[in-house]
Parts: sequence; C-alpha cells; structure tokens
Amino acid sequence: MMRPSAYRAPMYSETGPSLLSKLYELNWLLPALIAVVGAVGVLMIYAATDGVWSRGAAQHAVRLFVAAGIMIGVSLVNIRLWYELAYPIYFIALALLLGVEFFGVSVNGSQRWLDFGPMRLQPSEIMKPAIVLALARYYHDLANWRVSSVLGISGAMLLIVMPMVLILKQPDLGTTLLLAATGVVIVFLAGINWRVMSMAMLGLVVAVPLFFRFGLKDYQRSRILTFFDPSRDPSGASYHITQSKIALGSGGVSGKGFMKGTQRQGEYVPENRTDFIFTVIGEEFGLVGSLMTMGLYICVIGLCVWLCFQCKAVFSKLLILGLTTTFTLYIFINLGMVMGLAPVVGVPLPLISYGGTVILVVMGGFGLILSAHLHRSVELPRSSD
Amino acid sequence: MNDGPQSDAAIINRRTAFLGIGAAGVFGVLAARLYYLQVTRAEDYRVLSEDNRFNFNLLLPPRGEIRDRFGEGLAVNAQDYRAELIPEQTKDVKTSLDAFEKIIPLTANERARILKDVKENSGFVPILLKDHLEWSAFSALNIRMHKLAGVIPKVGSVRSYPNLGIFSHTLGYVGRAAKSDVEKDDDPLLRQPTFLIGKTGVEAAMEGELRGASGRLKVEVNARGRIVREWPDPKTQAQSGKDVYITLDAELQRFAAEQYVNDEGETDSGGLAVMDVITGELRALLSMPVFDGNLFVSGLTQTDMDRMNNDPKRPQFNKVLGGGYPPASTYKMVVMLAALESGLISPERPVFCLGKIRLGNRNFHCWKRQGHGAMTMRDALKNSCDSYFYEIAQVIGIERIADMSRRLGLGQVYDIGITGQRRGIVPEPVWKQDRLGAAWRDGDTLNASIGQGFALTTPLQLAVMCARLANMKKAVSPSLLIGGELEGFEDLGINPAHLAFVRDAMWGVCNEVGGTAYRYNGLGLEGVQLAGKTGTGQVRGISSSERSSGVRKNNRLPWKLRDHSIFVGFAPYDKPRFAISTVVEHGGSGAKRAADITRAVMSMALKRDGLGESVLGEAAKPGAVNPDGARPNAVGSGLRHQDL
Repeated sequence: MMRPSAYRAPMYSETGPSLLSKLYELNWLLPALIAVVGAVGVLMIYAATDGVWSRGAAQHAVRLFVAAGIMIGVSLVNIRLWYELAYPIYFIALALLLGVEFFGVSVNGSQRWLDFGPMRLQPSEIMKPAIVLALARYYHDLANWRVSSVLGISGAMLLIVMPMVLILKQPDLGTTLLLAATGVVIVFLAGINWRVMSMAMLGLVVAVPLFFRFGLKDYQRSRILTFFDPSRDPSGASYHITQSKIALGSGGVSGKGFMKGTQRQGEYVPENRTDFIFTVIGEEFGLVGSLMTMGLYICVIGLCVWLCFQCKAVFSKLLILGLTTTFTLYIFINLGMVMGLAPVVGVPLPLISYGGTVILVVMGGFGLILSAHLHRSVELPRSSD
Repeated sequence: MNDGPQSDAAIINRRTAFLGIGAAGVFGVLAARLYYLQVTRAEDYRVLSEDNRFNFNLLLPPRGEIRDRFGEGLAVNAQDYRAELIPEQTKDVKTSLDAFEKIIPLTANERARILKDVKENSGFVPILLKDHLEWSAFSALNIRMHKLAGVIPKVGSVRSYPNLGIFSHTLGYVGRAAKSDVEKDDDPLLRQPTFLIGKTGVEAAMEGELRGASGRLKVEVNARGRIVREWPDPKTQAQSGKDVYITLDAELQRFAAEQYVNDEGETDSGGLAVMDVITGELRALLSMPVFDGNLFVSGLTQTDMDRMNNDPKRPQFNKVLGGGYPPASTYKMVVMLAALESGLISPERPVFCLGKIRLGNRNFHCWKRQGHGAMTMRDALKNSCDSYFYEIAQVIGIERIADMSRRLGLGQVYDIGITGQRRGIVPEPVWKQDRLGAAWRDGDTLNASIGQGFALTTPLQLAVMCARLANMKKAVSPSLLIGGELEGFEDLGINPAHLAFVRDAMWGVCNEVGGTAYRYNGLGLEGVQLAGKTGTGQVRGISSSERSSGVRKNNRLPWKLRDHSIFVGFAPYDKPRFAISTVVEHGGSGAKRAADITRAVMSMALKRDGLGESVLGEAAKPGAVNPDGARPNAVGSGLRHQDL
C-alpha cells in the first residue's frame, strides 16, 4: 500500500525528479530529532570542557553540520544505487581492515587506524554500516525458505565473522561485540527460524566462557573481571565506574545545574567529554535530564522503526533496522557502562560524545535510512528460486 | 505465499515488534538503574561526591609573642624571606634552577633535595628552594623575577629572638615536635612539618598559651589534588596564640649583660638576678655568656654546636637558675640571723680574730692573715671576718644555720614557670649522712659558716635571700610570668629588730669606710644607698704549704681555678625596692667584678623604676642607657678593697 504523497521513483539510471521535490519528500522529522540530540551533545561538551568552546564544543557543532550535509547527500542517492554498492562497500571495508592488520597505526596499544596523510581512517567504523548493507542485500537476495538452511546461515555467518576476526585482532572488543550483535539481530529479523535461533543462543552460552578464556587480551579480561568485582582495582579500571556512579548519583533528581557539576569540575570522571559524557548530563541535570536524553533517543529509534514499517523491500527494511540496531546498541552499551551495568568498553554515546568518526558513521547511517524511506517505492530486483 | 516479499516484510515487522519490546525492556532497566542511582542512593553518592570534592587543610596559627613587662618583644614572629618553585610554571625545572643559582647559590645537597621534591610532587605543589634569605638576596631575586620562570619569592613567618640571645636562657627556643612530643600531645599541628613548638624555657612552659589553635581551610580539590577553590569559614580560622608577658625589663637586662664585658673586652660568665623585694617579680634574669636562640630555630650547624659545647664558659648553661656556687661570705647574713634568733649570741660580744682558729689538729684561716683583732657582730660582717663566724657557728650549731638558710629561701626551687633550677645544698648533718654516708664533723660547721665547703646556691636563691632580708616581713618568692595569680607570701617569722640589725650591717659593708664594698660615691644616685655583701667563692683547696709561702693571687691562676666573684644586695637601703645577686664565675674577689656590676645594674634598675628621676634628670628616665655601655663605676677603682 502506497501513500499518494510518496515519491514514485524511477530506476536509478533514469533521470529522477528534481532535487527540490526529493528534499520536500524527505522525512525531516528525523534530521530535526538528530539536531536536538546533537545540540544536547554540544552543550554537554561545552560543560565538560569548563565552558571553553574551542576544547570540543565548537568542533562538535561543526562536525554535526558537515555530517548533516553528508546525511542529506546520502539520503538523496537512490536506494537502488546503495543496493548495488552494498557488497563493494563491504569488501572495501574488509580490505581496509586487512590493511590495518598490515599497515595500521597503533594508538594506545590498539592498531585501529589507517593513516592517509591528512586524515586518519578507522575501518572498523566503516564496517558498521557496511556489514548492515551487505547483510540486508544478502537476505534481500536470499529466498525466504533458505534463510534457515545450512547454506543460508553459512553465508550470513561468513559475512559476519570475517570482519569480527579482523577487528578482534586489533584488538577492539567493543566494536567486535557490536558487530556480532548487529549481525545476529539482522539474521533474526530476516526470519531465521526459532529452533535455529535458540540452538545458536545455547551455543553462545557454551562459547562465551571459552572465548573469555582464550580469545581475549589480558586488559580486556581485566576490564570484564573488574566489572563484576569493582574492588579488584579501586584506583585503576574500576575508578571509572565508581566515579561515574558518584557523578550520576550525586546529581539526584534535578541535578546540580548546568556548569555546576563538582565531579566534572574536579575532573574526577576521566573521558567525560567522550565516552563518559552521560555523567555530565546526569550530574548537572539529574534524573530528569537523564531520562529526557534517553527519551530523545527512544524517539529517534521509534521514528526509524516507523520509517521501516513504511518500506516494503527486504533490503530497505533490513537496512533501516540494522542501522537502527547499531545505533541502539551504542546507546545500550554506553549507558550500561556509565551506570555500572556493563564493563568499560570504549563505546561512545552517539551524537553526544565528542569524536568525529562516530558522528560521520552514525549520520551516514541515518542518511541511508532516510534514503531507504525516501525511495520506498523503488523496485529492487529480487532473485527468485 | 511464504516466499513472497509481502510475507518477508510481515516476518520482519513481527520480529521488529518482538525486538522492540526487548529494547523497551532494556530502556526500562536503564531507567530503573538511573532511578536507583539518582533517587534511591542519591544521598550516598552526594556524600561521596563531597568527599571527593573537599579536603581540609590545617591552618597554622601564628605563635603568641613573648614580651617584657613594658611590652617589648623578646620572642617575636619575624618575616622570613624564602623562595619557592612551582614546577608546572617553569619551562624546565633545571633551567630555572640554574638561573636561580646565579643569584642565590645552592649546595649540591640542596639541589638534590629540590629535584627529589619536584619529582615526588604534582607540578602545582610549591617546592621550597631556600629559606632564611638575607634581605639583599631576596630583593635581588625580586628584581630578576622576570627571568626566573616558576620561582616565587615568599614572605613567611619565623620565630625570632632579638637581643642577641640575652634572654635565650629564660625564653628557651622553639623547634619541630619530636616523636615523644607527638606521642604525648595529639594536636594535629604537631604533625605539621613546618610547625614549631616550645622546646625549653618560657617557650616550653607557656606552650599552651603561645601555641593557639589550628584552623581548617575547606578547599575544593580536583582528582589530582589541585586546589580548585577555597571556602572561607570564620569558624575554622586558626586562632593565634596568646602573647605572654614576663616580668623582666628588657632594657635593664641588656644593660646588665653589657656589664659582663670585662676590661679586656671579653665576656665574663656568670648569672645575675634582680628581684622586686615586695612582689617578687624578677626584673632581670641573666646568664652569661649568651647563646643565640635563633640558631636553634633556623637549624643548628655542627660548627655552631661544637663552638657552644667546647666553650669553657658554657654559654648554653643557664647559670642564674642552674649554676651551683658556694655562697661564700654572702652566707654570713644567714649565720648572723641564726645567731641573733637563737638568743645565744649578743651582737656586742667581741671575738678576737688572730687570722686563724685551731680546731682539733686543723687550722681554719681568716681571709686576713694578720687578723682583724676584736670584732663585734656588725664589724665582723662589714669586714667579712671569718674567725668571728667560725666562733659563733660553733656556739649556735649547724642545725640553726641550716634552718635559717631555708627560711631565707636557700636549698629550694621556685615555681617561676620554667624548669632548669638547681636545688642547691644547705649543709647539715642529715644531708651529709644521706648523700655522702659520712658523719658531720665540727670542721664542716666552720666551713659552712663562711659559705664554703658543702654549701651550694644559685644566683636566683641568693637574690631571694636578699629580697627576704630586705622585705623584713614576708617570705617573698620570685615570679617570672605576668598574669598568674598573686598569692600572698607567708610571714618570714623573724624578729624585725634582728633583720634590721643585719640590714644595717649590710649597709655598713657598702657605705662605711673600711667596709668590703665601700665606694665613696655609692650607687652614684644621691641619697639612694645600697646595702649588700661581698662573697668570694673558693673553687680550690689552699694547701698549708701554699698558705705559708703566700696564697697565690687570682690573676696568676688559670681561669678555671680562680675564685667566683659574688655580690648580693638591695637598695634603696631605707626603703628597699630591689634585691640583686651577681655571680661572676672565676671573677676573683666579690668586692671587685660582682660589686661593680651590682652597683651599675642596681642604679640602672632604680633609675628605670623612676626613683632616681628627680635626682638625675634626663639620664634616669626609663629606657635611658649609657650610650657607650661603659660601666659607670669603672672609675674610682683605687678605692676598692681587698675582701674575702
């Protein structure tokens, strides 16, 4: 069923309607919500840096604008083109990950970066939307009855495991898990049957302890152990969590007021401009501010899901849901970590935390979501068996 | 139908709804967690946050000052010029140190200590470069500040004792609390490395008053301990220590100290006490030579220590309280009073002095070999005839003498607030049996009767003795601290007529031609007369062979073997105001050094008390000092008399 106002797009190779009419048809509610979340980010970075614009807040605002431009640009590209590019993008990302393995730059003991002169690229970030694109295309092309077949599962697993292994080697546990979770969610959404799903879950329960014992670096194991027993290392790894909880808790219901957080002023919470920025919100705006922030995120997620419901093509639906899943998982892991419910893994709070790559990737993802929704009536070819 | 795109979309939508519920659950958990942290446990975390945020820094109270009776500062808080370094404000610590050393040199040890401190502290913690800087060095530093990144000139406070140590023995000094102090006293101030407490003297005795109370400064600190903000709170300000006033007269004591410089320009050793005969207040309490208490505050070097320890005049030793000297002839007043009170001796009863008396197989000599001839009691004191006192002591017995000693204040310590007093020895049979395990012999009584042998007194005790003689009614006791409760003194319980007789004899000593301390111009204060008694304390035995060949003159003896020069007295004779005792160690005859010092100091004491004003005009005003510090009575030495 199509709404009359929806844009009836021709094939991507044909000349499309004017750019203006496309812009008019765009769902502007999502960019508006993103702008609000981004503004919260700018304000909180401003607070976290003692009210010095040049220490992050200004850059964050500029990046948001640039990324918003990219987002709109991506959204105007016909979904058909993204469909065609899904695998190429995935394999380029994979190649870059492989490049990191051999030519990467080490920062803080992790080899995550590729140095291209003036800019540094973090291929694991590119892989986040890339794997969603690839899996969406994979399931779009895959006949429904094959989703739960050995071949169908194997293909998806291959797509998921290849980048996981490369990212785990960097090592970057947070991104690896994020990728795995996103992949599993897409597989689930694609309609894999419950029996296989529950068996896989059972397998995971067995695999996790083994992975923990043999698949992790010492510092990764230590972080997880510390999470379960904070007294192991009061001034080291668990210091983050303890100080973070003090910041949130001392904020109380209404908070200490904008720019008045003492935990923040005293620099007790490390990384409060980036991964731990939620502590500034919690301390200065209390439970009210925290819940409102969470509410904003829920609105963004809900809107994305609503956009998905309006699409019919499997590729579009899975693309939207996969990207939304990544976004949601970012939020879950970050908030869980800040509140002491999850181990400290370097996952930022999307759109609010300071950091250029994340903004670009997340906004690019929203561009894809908008594109899928804008071109929801475009027919995508489907191989039928 | 199952493989159509429609059904695919349906599955996806169903499963999305399913996951949506799951996601809502996760958000619910997160919200619940927030509620737990920010509502349920908010108070706990608020406390923890305050703990994080605030430190309490101890504020050191300024120490109370010690002042003399007129308010002049004797122990004061002076400015201490020091240089500190804040490492984070330097470009490079070593460069800054090199630049600093061009102005103020550092020893290798100091430099090593500074670099160690820099390494062990955060960059914002000020590190001491050097303290106790001279003003010239400090100002040089200030001028070159622009070239010395991170170096900060600071003016701190340091305990300072003006007056070149003239009050050091009484005031004591301050120093860092020792382990034993910290164990006895749980005041957190004592654990502060820069805090100083009284170690000896008034500084230690009045520590409770002088110290004050610590304050607390509430400071907001960040995770690295840097102070973000100070929170002033009047309740937690440090309370300065109270000033302590002592009875001494700084001007008088300075004058007295000058008198101890002898004709050769050397400083004699000894002790001097000036005491108010009515109130017991000490106007001067001097021990010579002095030591500089400031050295103990700034840190004593080994050289200073050696110099003090090797000085035969023992500058650190408080002789006026702790020095034990034979009272010598000044003890004769005690014997005299004991004799009068006993009723066994008439003052008119003559004793014929042949220059010596024989007891058993021993000779006991009078200082005058050829003898004084017939002596009555008054003449015996005036001439200090030993033979007379040998005689009457045998009549009245040692117990009466010992008892009178104690009534006049000998053989005891006084509650003047500070420690270091010697009890001294009042010789008597019980004492000898207890301490030496030997029986009392008649010869001991004869030695005691002229203040030799076992008798040992301190200059303070001699001043008390003299004050009681002068007071006539009360057993006046000394006091040093102003502000304590004045208790009435007990009655002396001695017949005033007898006391008047002794005083008159003491007047004769000083004012009658032939008296051992006669000086034609007396105190130099018209109409104000001194009464007193000389004493020459023997520190060596004189063998009979030496006696037969002539006793060696003091100035031909090594310093250590010379007699102690002693004088006690009071003035004005007719209306006593001050008692004084003067001891010059190995100073020879009491009629010379001690008598000269006494006259000078007593006249100055009286002038400063206002008595001499009408007579002497300008020079007699309190505070007026003889400008060149010369002893006023140094002239007229031709009239000095030989005395024992």
